[in-house]
Amino acid sequence: MNFPADQIGHQVDLTLMVVLVIALALFFDFTNGFHDTANAMATPIATGAIKPKAAVLLAAILNLVGAFLSTEVAQTISGGLIREGEGGIQISPVMIFAGLIGAIVWNMITWLLGLPSSSSHALFGGLIGAAIVGAGFAAVDYGVVVSKLLLPAVLAPLIAGTVAYLGTKLAYAITRRQGSSAAPKRGGFRYGQIFSSSLVALAHGTNDAQKTMGVITLVLIAGGFQSAGSGPVFWVIAACGLAIALGTYSGGWRIIRTMGSGLTEVKPAQGFAAETSTASAILASSHLGFALSTTQVASGSVIGSGLGRKGAKVRWNTAGRIGIGWLLTLPAAGGVGALAAWVAHLGVAGIIIDAVAGILIILAMYVVSRRSKVGHDNAISDVDQAGEVVKIKRKRKKKKDRLEAGQ
Amino acid sequence: MSIDWFAFVIVAVATLVASMTVVGFYGLGVRLLAVATDAAPTRQPAVRLGAYACFAVCVAAVLYGIYLIVPAFH
Repeated sequence: MNFPADQIGHQVDLTLMVVLVIALALFFDFTNGFHDTANAMATPIATGAIKPKAAVLLAAILNLVGAFLSTEVAQTISGGLIREGEGGIQISPVMIFAGLIGAIVWNMITWLLGLPSSSSHALFGGLIGAAIVGAGFAAVDYGVVVSKLLLPAVLAPLIAGTVAYLGTKLAYAITRRQGSSAAPKRGGFRYGQIFSSSLVALAHGTNDAQKTMGVITLVLIAGGFQSAGSGPVFWVIAACGLAIALGTYSGGWRIIRTMGSGLTEVKPAQGFAAETSTASAILASSHLGFALSTTQVASGSVIGSGLGRKGAKVRWNTAGRIGIGWLLTLPAAGGVGALAAWVAHLGVAGIIIDAVAGILIILAMYVVSRRSKVGHDNAISDVDQAGEVVKIKRKRKKKKDRLEAGQ
Repeated sequence: MSIDWFAFVIVAVATLVASMTVVGFYGLGVRLLAVATDAAPTRQPAVRLGAYACFAVCVAAVLYGIYLIVPAFH
């Protein structure tokens, strides 16, 4: 067999590129687990319902199990979002690489500035930006962007928030015991939170691990290793599940160090309602192939459940700041992805520039994370930030008095 | 561009029904446990059993939900 020398070289380049993208995608998956453990497990650890070590291990295992539950979201990304093959626009592994770099860089920037952000939206933004620069505006299926990405991003947190509000009302109504001398005894919800947090961890694995599966499947299709329109293969599912589980396991230790430093006050009954609606909303959405930001859904639930408590008020300033951060993520990551794609199109030199920039950013992230003190603003999850949106009156008695006075 | 609005209705209804079932029954279980501690000694086991039945309903609801979304089971 005699291949022309440059064709062999091209094949090697392509394989190398695909391997590079897979490594980068798995790294992204790892950081996702690392970052989001706090979302699922912070509350039951804080209330002392479960030991930190057990909580982190449980979350990691459920992340792994969750990854195997469904592949709908992965197929939204690999088969719908970006048009591939068959007369459509050919997306190249280089573009996916550029998109991932864009997502990682944007995550780094928001993490450093303490902006609320969504790593999922950073991923989609980066991919879309890179695809547009690499193959023109026709490369992206905007129908899928709107129906499976943008609308769920708005509606799912709203649904989760409304249900969490109703759930909190229900939990308090059911456990209210009138005329009883005993306290309401809602302590049982503390242990219920082990259960509901586990569900959140499972849902997180289902939705977030699938995003990475989708990206890896997309690059395998783009590289010609897999036929267009097919779903993720087993080793991809297993690798993504393991990466997110490992990330969760190693990220969990960060939470333990921060226990006792300004966690938002969430009562067990309220937390239980919030987590249950978060998990339900994410699992239902995953089933329909909506690629959600789990952080945003969890934030919606925390805000909703806060409002379900007596005398709650919304701090609109904080809510607005979080909202702006969310709105910014997709276009901003798109911009960075587009820039990375533009650089990559300069040829091999461009790809090397991208890779070096990516590695530098990752190293910088590591160095800063070692140096910076772990505090309320950087180690506690975005969801807790969302909890601050709701202001809850502490002195219920005073409020009651005022209500009786007719105010 | 065709947007499947019905899919959002499914998500909303599924979220509502699942959460209300789990929160409602868990809440009832918590309440019954509290009632059991205050109840007369002879009634305690029965009330406690009711509480555990409520928790069992929660677990069953969750397992059913997961069964529904896993394609491997269908």
